[in-house]
Amino acid sequence: MTTSNQSPAAVAATSSPPPVARVEGRQSRRRQMLDAIAGRYRFVPVVLMLAVIWAFFTAQDSAFMGNRNITNLLVQIVVTATIALGIVFVLLLAEIDLSVAANSGAAAALTAILVVNHSWPAWLGLLAGIAAGAVIGLIQGAVVTQFGVPSFVVTLGAQLMLLGAILVLLPGGTGQVSLFGTGIATLSSTYLPPALGWALTAAGIVAFVLLRLLALGESRRRGIDMSLVREVVAPGILVGAASVTAVAVLNSYLGVPLPVVILFALLIVFSYITTQTRFGLHLYAVGANPDAARRAGIPVARAKMIAFSLAGALAALGGILAASRLLGVSASSGTGTVLLESIAAAVIGGTSLFGGRGSVWDALLGALVIGSISNGLDLIGAETVVKYVAEGSILVLAATVDSILTRGSVFARATK
Amino acid sequence: MSKETAAVTTAAPLLELRQVVKLFGGVHALEGIDLTVGPGEIVAVVGDNGAGKSTLMKIISGLQPADGGEIRFDGKTVELRRPVDSTALGIETVYQDLALCDNLDTVQNLFLGREETSSLLRGARLRRADMEHRAQETIRRLGAKIPSLRTPVGRLSGGQRQSIAVCRSTLSNPRLVLMDEPTAALGVEQSTGVLDLIRRLRTEHGCAIVLISHALRDVLEVADRIVVLRLGNKVAEFDNSDRTTSSDQLVAAITGISAP
Ligand SMILES: Nc1ncnc2c1ncn2[C@@H]1O[C@H](COP(=O)(O)OP(=O)(O)O)[C@@H](O)[C@H]1O
Ligand SMILES: [Mg+2]
Repeated sequence: MTTSNQSPAAVAATSSPPPVARVEGRQSRRRQMLDAIAGRYRFVPVVLMLAVIWAFFTAQDSAFMGNRNITNLLVQIVVTATIALGIVFVLLLAEIDLSVAANSGAAAALTAILVVNHSWPAWLGLLAGIAAGAVIGLIQGAVVTQFGVPSFVVTLGAQLMLLGAILVLLPGGTGQVSLFGTGIATLSSTYLPPALGWALTAAGIVAFVLLRLLALGESRRRGIDMSLVREVVAPGILVGAASVTAVAVLNSYLGVPLPVVILFALLIVFSYITTQTRFGLHLYAVGANPDAARRAGIPVARAKMIAFSLAGALAALGGILAASRLLGVSASSGTGTVLLESIAAAVIGGTSLFGGRGSVWDALLGALVIGSISNGLDLIGAETVVKYVAEGSILVLAATVDSILTRGSVFARATK
Repeated sequence: MSKETAAVTTAAPLLELRQVVKLFGGVHALEGIDLTVGPGEIVAVVGDNGAGKSTLMKIISGLQPADGGEIRFDGKTVELRRPVDSTALGIETVYQDLALCDNLDTVQNLFLGREETSSLLRGARLRRADMEHRAQETIRRLGAKIPSLRTPVGRLSGGQRQSIAVCRSTLSNPRLVLMDEPTAALGVEQSTGVLDLIRRLRTEHGCAIVLISHALRDVLEVADRIVVLRLGNKVAEFDNSDRTTSSDQLVAAITGISAP
């Protein structure tokens, strides 16, 4: 991590006597290291962890890295990653939403009923489900911000209410709705033709590099020195290589699955919003220091309500994608490990539980970690018990790492 | 009783408080305060803990409305009910508990809440380069010492953070800057840096400053006029335009015990 000494100037070069200076030097190197891992290079340990997990399961069963299993894995993680994306927004604001899983089940039930029993077109049913999820999130955000009720209580209560709503929505008797043969089911069974997959990938990479070049040009015109390699070339090669490899693997099987395209479209849009726009910056400000944000004129309550409704909308979409893959909705929709896995994905990916730190890409990385463990354990025929223990412990481990990084790094004061 | 000097009132005052009252339940935090600040004048407000200094500042910054009295700005009576009422008049505030976000860098903190962005058609992007350029200029002009504009401010020293807060207050070209204990958490060297910044604020921007401070040495060094509060009342006012007020005089006024 030689890149971590990007801010040597941050450490005041005072003319202290040698022994003190040496201790300070050692401490500051350690601090810079922590700062880098807690900040800009937060993804590095996560990617390393992913590599270890993949190496382990490939050693157990070489089919793990086969194009068929990789396709499966990506389709499996879409639901977790989509819900986790909403969790990232809520965590950025130092809040939590424990209702997302139940919300995803309720929205899927609503969409299924509208499409199957009321013959709504699939796209309209989909939109209605997402809108319902957004409104449910908004209401919770309103209770949290207007009455100051801690979000974990509000969303815990909402979770139970939503689980009740699923029971009410689903028909008596069977307690389930089949989506077989509907437009909703087609969502998961659609794969892009290889050429289209490549075209979208190329467009994405070009857009990414152009945006970075634009920023570099603007800075240089203003006389601000920015490194072409660090800001454009290196990230471009990283993003390009990763996406080309992924698409090549997917295309060698059935092509890029539509749900994966939807997930990446969402990630790209929200990545732009969080890193390039004023609203995105304000999310980070509110999460770190709500008082400072309020004094700076930022509408704190509004930011929180938007985050909660985004979490609701994304949970709903995740639930509908899950129903599409499972070809139906039942009383078990949105229960089980859905909640744990979505929150775990965000935290494992690197979004801090203490607010103000994280990236939308954490949802993807974390979902890959937790999805790979789950997929790999299934592949080698491990028992459910092993899966539960592995997933539960990795969440606790990730939260521990988050606490250590938060306390030891530049962000320490933010959480006081 | 301490020596009282008639304030040297320059031209028309910028800010005028008349018989301003603030109650917290039964507590009279301010019992009818008169305060005048001329254009470009540095007025210090001193007093013991609980004298009402912070309350006075919160009233001027619109954080807590006054319960009685009159406030005039530019000769016109104004209502200061919310922080925007004050900022709209060109009154900026540097808060005692530094209102910075530790996870954001210097540029982001300087422009927090008033970021420059491109039009919606051009992607509503933050104009990062423009803001960084302006940040560099402001920091250079005020002579603040910030090592890197791109690292999160959580790692910076108290003095550097205070400098950012002061620089931040100048971005809107204010006419009056309020500062609550700007050097309270700082060491001697850092305090000197911030005091330099305050003097430059006046010379570079020509804005008036209301400075609340416990540090009498600092006050005697930079203030043109010193107002002493005790238990919600103004008990003395010193003309310090020639920097000749003594700290004994100040201490006597603050404590109410005459120097021997
Ligand atoms: N929000 C508040 N609620 C109740 N009493 C307050 C509040 N703010 C200040 N006070 C009281 O008003 C008086 C003046 O306080 P303050 O303005 O903070 O003094 P100073 O800043 O000079 O130390 C004190 O008696 C204090 O206890
Ligand atoms: Mg005070």
